[in-house]
Amino acid sequence: MISSYTFGIYPRSEELIEATRKNTENLDSLFQSETEGYISAQKNANLGFVSDPLLKWDDIFRPFSNLSEVTPTALNRIYEMNTFYRVLSFDGQDLVGGGNIVQSNLDSSLPKNKTAAIPEPFTFAELHTSNKFKRKEDFTINLAKMLRVEIDSLVESGFEAIQLLGPSIAYNKEVDFGIVSDALKIITDGLKAKTILHTYFGDVSKKIESLLNLPVSGLGFDITTTPASSIEKHSFSDKILTVGIINSFNTAIEKPQECIKQIDEINAKTKPKESYVSNNFDLEYVPKKFAMNKISILGEIARGAKDV
Amino acid sequence: MSKLFPTQEIGSLKKPADMLKKVKDPNVSDEEKIKARNDAALLNIKTLEDIGLDIVYDGEVRRVEMYEEPVRYVDGFEFAGRVRSWDNKYYNKARVVGPVAFKQNFHAEEFNFVKDNSDRELKVPVTGAYTLADWSYDEHYKSKDELVLALARNVVRPLVKDLVGLGAKIIQIDEPAATTHPTEMDIFRESINESVKGIDAKFVVHACFSGNDYKALAPQMPEIKAEQYTLEFANRDTWNIGLDDDTRKGFQVLKLFKEHGFEGEIGIGVSDVHVNEIESPELIRDRILYAAKALGDPTKVYVNPDCGLRTRTREVSFDKIRSIVKGAELAREEIK
Repeated sequence: MISSYTFGIYPRSEELIEATRKNTENLDSLFQSETEGYISAQKNANLGFVSDPLLKWDDIFRPFSNLSEVTPTALNRIYEMNTFYRVLSFDGQDLVGGGNIVQSNLDSSLPKNKTAAIPEPFTFAELHTSNKFKRKEDFTINLAKMLRVEIDSLVESGFEAIQLLGPSIAYNKEVDFGIVSDALKIITDGLKAKTILHTYFGDVSKKIESLLNLPVSGLGFDITTTPASSIEKHSFSDKILTVGIINSFNTAIEKPQECIKQIDEINAKTKPKESYVSNNFDLEYVPKKFAMNKISILGEIARGAKDV
Repeated sequence: MSKLFPTQEIGSLKKPADMLKKVKDPNVSDEEKIKARNDAALLNIKTLEDIGLDIVYDGEVRRVEMYEEPVRYVDGFEFAGRVRSWDNKYYNKARVVGPVAFKQNFHAEEFNFVKDNSDRELKVPVTGAYTLADWSYDEHYKSKDELVLALARNVVRPLVKDLVGLGAKIIQIDEPAATTHPTEMDIFRESINESVKGIDAKFVVHACFSGNDYKALAPQMPEIKAEQYTLEFANRDTWNIGLDDDTRKGFQVLKLFKEHGFEGEIGIGVSDVHVNEIESPELIRDRILYAAKALGDPTKVYVNPDCGLRTRTREVSFDKIRSIVKGAELAREEIK
């Protein structure tokens, strides 16, 4: 048996979608009951870490619009997806918001073994703008400082693992790993929690060496875009390896035995310090009934895979 | 068309509220619902004609929306549920669970009605194979390429052929997803060419802007069997009057099309469909004149909004179209 978790935004049910569109009286109670339902589903699947389904989050960056002097602006496509996020313009003198931006947007009923996901600084800076920090490096570093305060607050309240979402590292052809590393160092230095950097929306086969040198506890890969054969060429003896085996971009339900075999093969070749399985990116790209099924399958894969 | 700078719509308009109320009411008879749809279509056609558009259609008033409508009538699809576009906006996304196949011409009634009620040139919008594939979950085909080509050959081509058989002369293949995956432009090109193979009509391709400023599309354009592209430009342009490159920065990519050897027509988006402000006729005039110069041939320029106007109110949409028609008149006067 290995461990498991999910990260990112979950899909809203048809009932909740309608309620958000009509702003019905029972909207808050629907959000709450659906959040609790997803938390129960993760517990029932025996996932190693449980995450908030982030049902109120319109996109993974939106809570940060609550920082002072941050303005939501145009809609932008999320990479090559048919989904859009709101670009935030950071215009304040500094970005620190007191460390309660993420925490205040997470459900209080999460169990002890809880994890939270936030964008990593390089991706954050790539997808948003700042009138104050004109140089991308300055923007990235200042976002990292802001995120560190948020993460400290999460760790203090018991979050044992922090998922850092870095799709731009995968998607962008050119990545300045010096900046990525400097920003991650700000986030992870002395932190008493596991930090796992997830790359998706692009093939990172040629970037794995650079990724292995980053100051994070582990790396997560989307094996629909980065072939397992590329990952298997590397040793993960001093890193956690998370395989994003559940495909959030297709309704086809994974076959547990095939997945277990694949995970065992990857682990035999990479010899990771710790092994996890997860979704490849936000489950909100499939409707709820498929997401629920996939959570259950994820637990089954984790239970069936050989311990490392 | 012999006239310079012909004006046209892209496709969708916001549906009239009274029609929506009637067609959603379970207590309203089928006959009344048919009448409500016909009345709404006629209202759109006549309004667009009265404003002075040269090429018209019915504002896609009978269609649910551009993805769900065709998928309802194609074998091999099953709806999975709604998936977010942004914030609280969702679309109904389908799974491909078997071979895709054309069952019936789901635009026949719509086309026949428009044909019977307008003397203008008609441009029929049809959702393209690449976008249908890109916006669906594929659980059946081995690759995206296979699904795209199956949709092009087995769904879009028979549909287009049937529409042309009914008398359609201009078909616009709507491909908002066309440039969202720059590495898949080869398959997009093949999907259009397979969709129109052996059919005698004028083909227009509508592709939305997706971040790479059509740079991925430009090299493919001469190889795609389309006479015209209707594209977005206004939403990246300035609102200042003028004909210099900086003022008309949204239209500079036109030069790239020419550099890549495209010699066909461009339906230039001169009105931003994401804002309520109405572009002045003088601004539209300058956008047209800049485009004519950039393409080196004013006869290659058609004039339209960036995209369908269904996210704007009907009042804003018709005001924008009015301004487009006036702007085209001003541009014609300048060229005389």
